[in-house]
Amino acid sequence: MRATQMAPVTGLRPVAPTLIQIRNLKKTYAAGRVQALSNINLDIADGEFVCVVGPSGCGKSTLLRILAGLDDYDSGQVMLGTKTVSGPSRDVGVVFQQANLLPWLTVRENVALPLRVGGGRPDGADDVDRLLEVAGLKDFGGRYPYELSGGMQQRAGICRALVRNPRILLMDEPFGALDALTRERMNLELQRIWQSTGKTVMLITHSISEAIFLADRVIVMSARPGRVLRELTVDIPRPRSNDTIISHPDYPALAKEIRALLTGQGEE
Amino acid sequence: MSKPDITLAVADPTIESAPASESPPRAPRPVNGTLIAGLGLVALFAGWALAVRFLDVPSYILPSPAAVWKALWSGLAVSPSDPLGYYLPLWGTLKNAAIGLAAGGGLGLLLGSLMAESRTIEKLLMPYAFALQSLPKVAIAPLVVIWFGFGDGSKIAIAGLLSFFPILINSFTGLRSVDPEKIDLMRSLSASRFETYRIVKLPNAAPYIFAGLDMAVVYALLGTIVAEFLGAQQGMGVVITQAQAVTDVAGVFAALVILGAFGILLHGIVRGLEQRVVHWGNRGRK
Repeated sequence: MRATQMAPVTGLRPVAPTLIQIRNLKKTYAAGRVQALSNINLDIADGEFVCVVGPSGCGKSTLLRILAGLDDYDSGQVMLGTKTVSGPSRDVGVVFQQANLLPWLTVRENVALPLRVGGGRPDGADDVDRLLEVAGLKDFGGRYPYELSGGMQQRAGICRALVRNPRILLMDEPFGALDALTRERMNLELQRIWQSTGKTVMLITHSISEAIFLADRVIVMSARPGRVLRELTVDIPRPRSNDTIISHPDYPALAKEIRALLTGQGEE
Repeated sequence: MSKPDITLAVADPTIESAPASESPPRAPRPVNGTLIAGLGLVALFAGWALAVRFLDVPSYILPSPAAVWKALWSGLAVSPSDPLGYYLPLWGTLKNAAIGLAAGGGLGLLLGSLMAESRTIEKLLMPYAFALQSLPKVAIAPLVVIWFGFGDGSKIAIAGLLSFFPILINSFTGLRSVDPEKIDLMRSLSASRFETYRIVKLPNAAPYIFAGLDMAVVYALLGTIVAEFLGAQQGMGVVITQAQAVTDVAGVFAALVILGAFGILLHGIVRGLEQRVVHWGNRGRK
């Protein structure tokens, strides 16, 4: 981690190189009959926090899976740094919908899992116990996932995604299954973790308020076939809080614009 | 994946389910299940004893409980090395059943794993697996005796043959039933195929494999005794056929009591083992 240590603490856009570059990305399903993504173009800077919103089935998850190297694509270019994405990468940590912990492993074993598979302990791996402490799970390392609340499970899922110290964190509706209050607290935690680690984050969400709270930039996608409808910069200073964000003068306009873009989908 | 519930033999399941089905407006009185099962057992033995005494049932059709108990005791209250006691034949039967279970179950797990991992192997082997399952395997027993002789070999082979299928099909089903998101997780970590098998698929299949093991344990015992009927020097099957040859019906009953008790015991051991190994139960499922 070099320049990424300089995480943006104000609304200033970091002058950082592009880390994720997507050009003319197309993806079809069912032998070309269903077009999932049509001509996606997107740049994400090193250390940036980007939220992607869009109607159900617009291909947001497909976009994330392509970046994670879990799905292939038909045409276009997807680059992480200088490397073309051709499969899962150590530079990427994935946080799944619903924590996706293995119920037969303890919390500590779950968080440490990336260190013991896929070819040994990588250099610069983060310390499991330090991560658990940061996530407020210090006393729960020996517990099993079913003994934890949904919010704690997802925090463990985030620790697991961070333990290899990847540069990029991809999050697919990580808090969708949580209740509203837990979700707000998780957003706060995630902001804190992001600010202290300087990762580049792409987070998919259905929640407009979550997107504005977390993002430097909100990407609004169209209904299927998915494409980037608009990119909105969120210049609200950090650290943001759940109380202050909605009273910020930019908030209503941003929320209204995103809502209009999303609800306008039906008429297209 | 239904498990054969061995306890059905002693406890009528309707006794347990009765309080749940009736929903009177008043608070239901708590039902002592152990008490009811105990009373049922006492009533069974009393009815049996009375029927034998007053209906003039000949002892070669149905011996009295006292006669069965006497036969049982004469087999139990001897030195463990006495050839007329139950200990040596029981040991022989259990040993062969255990070896057959280990071999058949091990092979079932291995082939089930290969079939779950490879569509080609699945397509290749599944028809034979189902053909084998459709066959009444006890009917193969005489052939197995020709191949393996009257010694331990044929007992182990039939026990293995019978315990093979439930483990095969249950491990296959369990390994295939993994939540795709967990496979995605392992892929995102660039985990090897074997790592994914060992860390995700096998633990996920554990409850299925235990259900198969629960069946296989009983089948292994069954297979061993069937092989012993066809000819053996020693074993509980021999005890039964010898008692039958001299119309010692009480002796047959006593041997059946021993086998029933061991069936329940082995079922209990498998369940206990399952609860220890699969400690997360169904709580990992959404």
